[in-house]
Amino acid sequence: MSRTVAGIVVFACNWDGLSCIEAAAQSRLNYPPSVKVVRVSCLSRVHSGLILKAFELGAGGVMLLGCESDSCYYEKEGRFNVKEYEKTRGVLGLLGLGTDRLRLARLPRGDGDSFVKQVTNFIAEMEQADNRVEMRNV
Amino acid sequence: MFNGKQEIKDTRIHLCFDCGKCTVVCPVARYNSEFNPRLIVQRNIEQKDRNFQDEAIWSCLNCYMCLERCNYRVEFPEFIRILRTEALSKGTQMQCTHGGSLQALMHLMTGENLRQERLGWLSPDIKLSKQHDTIFFIGCAPYYDIMFGDLEVNTLEGAKGAMRLLNRANIPFNLLVNERCCGRDLLLQGDKEGFMALAQANMDEFNRLGVKKIVTACPECYYSLKVDYPKMLGSAVAEVVYWTEVIAPLLGSGKLHLGRLKEKAIYHDPCTLGRGLRIFDSPRQILCAVDGLELVEMEQSREKALCCGASSWVYCGAANRQIQDERLAQAEATGAGVLVTSCPKCQIHLKCAQRNRNGKMLRIDIQDLAGLAARSLETRR
Repeated sequence: MSRTVAGIVVFACNWDGLSCIEAAAQSRLNYPPSVKVVRVSCLSRVHSGLILKAFELGAGGVMLLGCESDSCYYEKEGRFNVKEYEKTRGVLGLLGLGTDRLRLARLPRGDGDSFVKQVTNFIAEMEQADNRVEMRNV
Repeated sequence: MFNGKQEIKDTRIHLCFDCGKCTVVCPVARYNSEFNPRLIVQRNIEQKDRNFQDEAIWSCLNCYMCLERCNYRVEFPEFIRILRTEALSKGTQMQCTHGGSLQALMHLMTGENLRQERLGWLSPDIKLSKQHDTIFFIGCAPYYDIMFGDLEVNTLEGAKGAMRLLNRANIPFNLLVNERCCGRDLLLQGDKEGFMALAQANMDEFNRLGVKKIVTACPECYYSLKVDYPKMLGSAVAEVVYWTEVIAPLLGSGKLHLGRLKEKAIYHDPCTLGRGLRIFDSPRQILCAVDGLELVEMEQSREKALCCGASSWVYCGAANRQIQDERLAQAEATGAGVLVTSCPKCQIHLKCAQRNRNGKMLRIDIQDLAGLAARSLETRR
């Protein structure tokens, strides 16, 4: 199984998260085609099983893209499954993949710019991390 | 395609004469009328009759209760495992518990380029030898403690405890930096391919380092390394021992002493360790060696011990919950303050059952055997 930055899976919530991606498309912003978007109702739907499955299938990184903490569509307090996120980061750390391979981005509605910026940064960081690993293995 | 003809023959399933004793003792059958070991054998004994959509095969707990009672020692759990392997090869989906995260984790551990960073919790008071002649096989405890943190499980305490006891007994050991899951859960789920990948990777590591002896902390790893690896890989692993079998004789001969803990405790026999590998006495000897600890027995213990209600991260439903509740009720009926077990999974499952009782009942404290024994050491410095 080769893990390359070729695959970044973005779990985007159906509301503000997805609107950022749509806004990016509407303003004709470019981001790498390796970004695969999976639409979910809310980020609380994304449990460790789904995230780890993405890595199992070869993803180089996973980004959780959702509403800002006070504007969740379902919850007044904007609670999000932070525990699940923290726990999965912990597991990725133990596996030696690095906790940074799971990223949380909470953006305001329709902020295509920030989405593209964050996702390209994420990919650049993952590429650097991969190079470091290759150097170590040589 | 998967062909399990010889494997099925080895389970002696054709000796089954339909007496139904397996079904009488099966904890799942008691709560789930759909699950009937006798009828499962009847339905599936001929290959042409098999229906791979049969959901019953995913409910088996692999608790060996049927095997214990069977007059012909028909290996029903093994038969179920073969049926599962066959069903998976036909494209049937299994019902993974915990959102499939543990399956994904185990598959991730098969990666060739895996460089785990799994020893961050190691404290300086645990002394490791320089050689790899004897290794201590930790198991997946570091992962469990993170994944089941919300249940307040503390399975690493058990591994650390066992290591402290080995230190105290002056038995040198080392750890594997890149130890992978033993793969037993994948095997039991029917994912033979995944198991083989993990087993081969671990085996290569043992051979590379020249490991001669392996001490295990988790009963499932113990079973896997001792029984499954030689059977599936066709070559013997180094000598495999369970930590209680190393420590208990030293306590008996007076070479090692435990400290004092004032507790009334019960011991919950993990199925794999008890009925699976016949280790009933050494864990009890360790508990009895703790000064001030009173050991009492549950209604069902030793060969008759009830399972913790779930296994191999497949299928957890109402019947499983009822079994767990029954086990907790048996534990509470003894009036003991602490339930001791030596299996991290038993700890996880029983703690999960406790949490789901919504605090309606008194909570019995659930602890790991090695963790408890090592804690008693602190009283005699």
